[in-house]
Formats: sequence, structure tokens, C-alpha cells
Amino acid sequence: MLAALVSHFTRRLMVAVPTMLALSIVVFIVLRLLPADPLGMMLPPNATNAEVEALRHTMGLDRSLLVQYGIWLGQVLQGDLGRSISSGVPVTQLIAHTLPATLELSFVALFLALLISVPGGLLLYVLHDRRGELVADAALVLLISIPGFLWGIFLMLGFGVYWPVLPFSGRFSSDVVAAGPTGFVLVDFLLRGQFGHWLDALSHLILPATALALGFSPLIVRVLRASLLEVSHEQYVTVARLRGQPEWRVILRHMLRNAFLPTLTLIGVQFGFLFGGTLLIEMIFSFPGLGNMMVQAVRNHDLPLIQGISLVFCAVILLINASVDCLYAVIDPRLRTS
Amino acid sequence: MSIARLVRWSARSLVSCLFITCASLAGTAAQAQSPAAEEELKIVYPVDVPSWDPTAVTFPAGQSVYKAVFDSPLFIDGDLKLQPSLIKSWKWADDKNTRLTVELRDGVTFHDGSKLTTEDFKYSFFDRPKKDKKLAINGFFGSLKDIEVSSPTEATMVFTTPTPTAPNYLGFLTSYILPKAYIERVGEDGFQANPIGAGPYKIVRYERGSRVILEAYDKYWGPKPAIKRVVFEFVPDASARVAMLESGRADVSVQIPLREVNRLAKNANLTAKIYPYSEIFILQMPSYVEAFQNEHVRRALHMAINKQAISKAFYGNVAKPISVLATPGSPGDVPGYEFKFDKKAAQEELAKAGYGPDKPLKIQFLSTNNAFPSDYEMARAIVQMWSQIGVQADLQEITLAKYLELSHSSKVPGVMLYSWANATGDPEIFAGKILDPRLRFSTWKEPALAKTIDDLAALSDPAKRFEGYQALARESTEHAWSLPLLQSVATIAYKKNLDVKVYQTAYILPAEYRWSK
Repeated sequence: MLAALVSHFTRRLMVAVPTMLALSIVVFIVLRLLPADPLGMMLPPNATNAEVEALRHTMGLDRSLLVQYGIWLGQVLQGDLGRSISSGVPVTQLIAHTLPATLELSFVALFLALLISVPGGLLLYVLHDRRGELVADAALVLLISIPGFLWGIFLMLGFGVYWPVLPFSGRFSSDVVAAGPTGFVLVDFLLRGQFGHWLDALSHLILPATALALGFSPLIVRVLRASLLEVSHEQYVTVARLRGQPEWRVILRHMLRNAFLPTLTLIGVQFGFLFGGTLLIEMIFSFPGLGNMMVQAVRNHDLPLIQGISLVFCAVILLINASVDCLYAVIDPRLRTS
Repeated sequence: MSIARLVRWSARSLVSCLFITCASLAGTAAQAQSPAAEEELKIVYPVDVPSWDPTAVTFPAGQSVYKAVFDSPLFIDGDLKLQPSLIKSWKWADDKNTRLTVELRDGVTFHDGSKLTTEDFKYSFFDRPKKDKKLAINGFFGSLKDIEVSSPTEATMVFTTPTPTAPNYLGFLTSYILPKAYIERVGEDGFQANPIGAGPYKIVRYERGSRVILEAYDKYWGPKPAIKRVVFEFVPDASARVAMLESGRADVSVQIPLREVNRLAKNANLTAKIYPYSEIFILQMPSYVEAFQNEHVRRALHMAINKQAISKAFYGNVAKPISVLATPGSPGDVPGYEFKFDKKAAQEELAKAGYGPDKPLKIQFLSTNNAFPSDYEMARAIVQMWSQIGVQADLQEITLAKYLELSHSSKVPGVMLYSWANATGDPEIFAGKILDPRLRFSTWKEPALAKTIDDLAALSDPAKRFEGYQALARESTEHAWSLPLLQSVATIAYKKNLDVKVYQTAYILPAEYRWSK
């Protein structure tokens, strides 16, 4: 089974390569079509035209777009995404520093979203055709209508200012030193046995992750409820009920697992939005992740950094989609044999 | 019964979620509510520094952070007067202002303990910039031909042309003395990773995009900082900066929205201030856009702006209206001169250019949003004022970086609302730079102005120089080459028991702050 899964995963990754290439072309060309000159930010105002042209030549900006793209792609394939215009630091170094923070935030948000939405979906299914359904539906619509960043502001004011029990800035407190092999502070602090620091890092994650999760979970609740309703009429469910199994066991053992497949599809597709949602949430919570850096890069017109982050965003989303595809096979034995 | 069990299961899941939250709450609640130690100061600051080489970037917003770690040769004080710093004394060695002899303070050390000498001075201002043309310091010392080192504490800066304002630049953006031996030993990347300077604080830890933790340098040559540990937390969102101060997680917050200043001022535990500083709001006119080549159009646009109303609406009347390219009371200001708001005269000027209510003038108008306090709101108000005289301005939001790129490539498509920083207050850096057609950030490209500016820059008599710049600034207003609007304002809020000194430069200098008893 493992070999089949690896093979399936590899195939999915191969399919992702053309997508990555297409995206790299789009990003590269669009950024260069902007009516602005990146050299404007790189040289002092009194630089002579000769100095401008010399730098343009050094950077290869006087060559055709195709050649420029070829040079850039060649460097990317060697792991060199160039240097940030605003800081002069290698883009790979900047991304390596911030990507774990964003991934950690996204995964904790996903975990919280599942914690909220699985019981929520079950509750809504149970309430189907009952008195409480209308109220629950209304509450769900309300939750869907509130975007993640607004949750961020509500949570910050609620738990950060008026009842100041949770931190809402940064990844951990200023007296905590993060150093570890993975860059994921929750993992690194655990590996080093620093449970106090682990709790500190977790507490910094709770508000931004909850803001992301609250924006994400209503969708899962809806799809899960719909899937449960759909499978509730399946033959195997009827058989289980006829065998005298209690309703809760029918739902948890037989219906939930099958109803979860469409939900998993949704999670795979929506994870991209969740990952993208970190842009605003990281900004609001001053979370030093990839999204925050992207906002700064756009503000500074830092082309190499924008290109690098776009590529990484795309790669992560494709990787997640490939992983979700593999998860189908784990959950549904029929897909494994096919 | 079965449903009840299911509901119980759902409830158990939710409880487990709550448990995790509560566990972390318990772990951090005490910390969150603990008062700040008197030895520490936490400043919430809107931007991180783009680079740890302070000579590489012209970045006014980051100067407060740079000034804590690095030291500049001269210091511009609260009244915009030059004061000795790493340079103890300075004098011109000739009448033409081409040779400036400086004497460095003896016994100054960098954070690694090595001694700061004129070799470091030469390296920072001459050798290194000559090798790397990308360093922004080149923009301020372009006429520097050499630095002659006479001793470890004495050197002479040699300029190709008379440069009487050179001392001003020694206290301005990008002017910092870097450690030559250290940079040569660890390399440029090594210096970026572990920067050291000769400033009052040394870096303990830097987390890019998040915070920099500083500790007082015990061998600092100047007065020892009263607060031993300073944390600059980089919080780009203005609401979050306010929230951090209100919740007691920060001691000082800067660049807070003006509407919040009035609210925070009512808080018994906080002090909040709006104060004018050495920047001016101007409207940049691109001379290469056809509509703005007509002087009647430019003057009409200027006359139609009610600056006092803008100041009252957005800056609580703290931002003073200006009529020339200089802050009120600075050497470039023209006492008694006022360019008056006159809607009727504006309509007449516009009519002379062939425009009016039946044939409105259509222009593009660019403004940043939140790069400066209430910038976009001011731009919207100006659009309304212009619409009353028959000008249809298409307001577009733009980032500062994009504007600079457009400006540097002479492609600005319309009027641009801009905040011009000049921590020296010298008119050369107001009218002299804004109107210099050779500079890539100027938008009014009148070739004849180059000679005027060169002649003014070479005047060694400060009185004559200031007089000349006043005349130039007045001429600029009369011809509407660039429209002066208001003196900019800065905002700050901090805990009541903290002594904070505000500067006209708007720099935040924690080395001078102290907790009151």
C-alpha cells in the first residue's frame, strides 16, 4: 500500500510541474510589465545614467524578456531565487526563515477548524428537521459572512485588550529564544523539552489561528452536514440501523467516514484560501510569516522577493493538493485498489 | 438516547478544544498582565529596517532604530541644530568650502570593543561607497573626492565643488560610521547577520519582521542610557499598535492614527501627542505631463486648496499651512509671505487655461494610503475642492515604492501627494532637492533651475544662501512648480510614568527616555 501511495504522490507531483512553470511565467511577465523601473529603488537619486545602465546590464535587465526569464529559471533550478532589492538578503534565506511560521499557523488553524467543524457538522445533521435547525442555520450564515481578518480584530480586542489574557503580536515573547532544527517552534520547543516556551508559542498562535479557523470552518460544517444527509439514505446505513445499532454508532462508525470524503476535497481546495488568508491575518497580528513578508515586498516593489514568495505559495498549495489526493486512498479502500 | 450520546460526543470535542485554549491561557495570563520591568522599554514601531547597513538605504522611517545601534558623526537636536556627536569639532580648512576638517572623539568603541578611528570614517563615507554605487550614501556625498586621514582622530573631507552644507549631511540619513575591520573580517553578509555599531545600544537578538532586542552598551561614549533593555516590536497594523499600548503590552507606540490620539489622551495611564515635525506635505507636479505645463492650471490647482480647512479636519489644527517649500520658521521659510486660498481666483486662472464647468480639466491624482498620517483622506478632500472649480481629478492609490519608481523613471502620470522629509531643516534639502531637475526623484524638470541650485549650494555665507533659497522657494510657489500644503505631523502615545522627549526630527531615541519614580 505504501509503495502505491508513494507512486501516486510522485505522479501528482509530476503533474504539478507544468502548473509551477506556467505560474512562474505569468508572475515573471506580469511583474515586468508594470510601468515602473526596479532600478529606481536600487540606486541613490543622484546616480548617473551610465551607472543606471551599468547596473541594468549587470542584472540582465537590458536583455529580452525571454532571455531574462531563462536566466532567472536557471538560477531558480539551482535554488537561487536572487536577492531581495530592499534588504539585499538572499530570497531563499528570507523564505526559509518565514515559511515554517506560516505553515505552522496554517496547520494549527486547520486543526482548530476541524475541532470546530466536525462536531458542528454533526450537530447540524442531528438538528435536521428539528426546531433548532433554523437558529443553527442562521448562526452558520452569520459565521460565513464574517471574513477572517474581522475575526482577527474582534479576537484581538476581546482577548487582547478588554480581557488581556492572550498575546496578539509576534510568534513568541521577547524573552524566548527560538532555535531548532525545523523552524516550527512548536516542534522545536518540544524537542528541546522547553514546555514553558512551547506554551508561550502556542498562546501566540491561538488568536491568529482561531481567526483563520473561524473563517474556514463554516464551509466545512456545511459540506459535512450535506454529506451526512446524503449518506444517511445509503443502503449500508439502513442495514446498520436494521441490525439494531444505536444511532450515534451508525453516524460515527458508518456515516462520518464516508461523508468525510467530500469534506476532505473541500479542505484540500480551501487550504489554498486558508494559506492565502494568512496575508492579512499575519499583518494584523504582526506574525513574522510569509504573508506579512509578501505584503512588505509588494509595498517595496521588491520583485525578486514577490516572485520567490509566489512560487513558494504555489508549490505549497500543489503539495497540499497532492497530499490530500493521497489521503483519499488512505481513507477509502476502493480508491486504493483502483 | 442515541442522539443525546452524539451530542455528548460533540460536546466532548468542543471541551477538548477549550481545554487546549485554557491551558495556554493559564500559561501566559500571568505574563500578559505583568507590568513592564523598569529596566525594559517596549516600543511598538510600524516598520522593520530593510537592511542592517544604514548607509545602504534612504529610509527615514527606520532612523530611530538605526540611531539606537549606530552613531552618526553629527547629531541634529530637537531644534534642528547641529551638535557634536562622534565628531567632536569641525571647521572649514578653506574659504571655498571644499575642505572640511573633522576631529573625531577619542576613546569611542564599537560594540565588539574595537576602537573607532578616522579609518572607519573614511571607509564608511568614501572607500566603501566608491566601491558600491548602490549604497544610498552616495546620494548625499556625491561631490566627495577624498578623505585625507591625518591621525586616528583627525581627517579632512575633500570635495570637488564647494559644499557648505556638508556638515548637515553628516547628521542626516545614511550618515553612520561603520566598523571597517569588523566588516572586512566577517564580510557584508556577516555584517548583515550580526551588525555592530557605536551607538548607545547593541543588538542582542534580531527577528526579521518581528522585533529587535537591544541592550545598553556599557562602554558607550555618551550619557549612559537609563533604560537598559529596549525592544522594538515591528507592528505594521496601526490598530494593533494602539491595542498593544492600551493592553499594557507596550510602553510606547508611534504613528498611531490621529483620531486615536484624542481618545488615548483621555486615558489616565497614557500620554498621547500630535506634534509638527520637519516634514512637509507637498503636491509634486510632473512637468512632462501636458496638462501641468500650463502655469494657469497649476496656480488654479494651488489656489483652490483650503489648507486651513484640511488642517482642522484631519490634523486638529496642529499641522500648519505652508506657502513655500519649507517648514514654518526654518531658514528656507519666507516670513510674511502667504499664498492665499481663493476659489474665485482659482476659477479665473482655470478659465485662462481654457477650462471651466463646461469643459472640466481631467487629471490624475496619486496618493499613498496610510504611508503618512491621513494622507488619503487629505487627497480625497483636495479632489472635492478641485471639483468645485471644474477639475475632475481621478484619485489613485499608490505605494511609496511604486511612486519612487515612477518618479525615478520620469513616468509619474499626475499630481502626487508626498511627504518630504528633511531632518536638517536646511533649505537645500527642501527647495534645493525638490526642484533640482537632475535628481531622479524630482518631478519638475526645469533645466534652468540646475544652475540656480548649484550657485546657491556653493554660497559659503549662510545668510546669503538662505536668502537665495527663500527667493527660489517663493518663485516656485508663484509659478506653482511644486505645491506646498502643510507641515507634517507625527503622533506618539506612551505610558504616563515614562519621560519622553519628542524631536522635530520625529526620531524616537530610547537612550534619552527614563521611567519616572
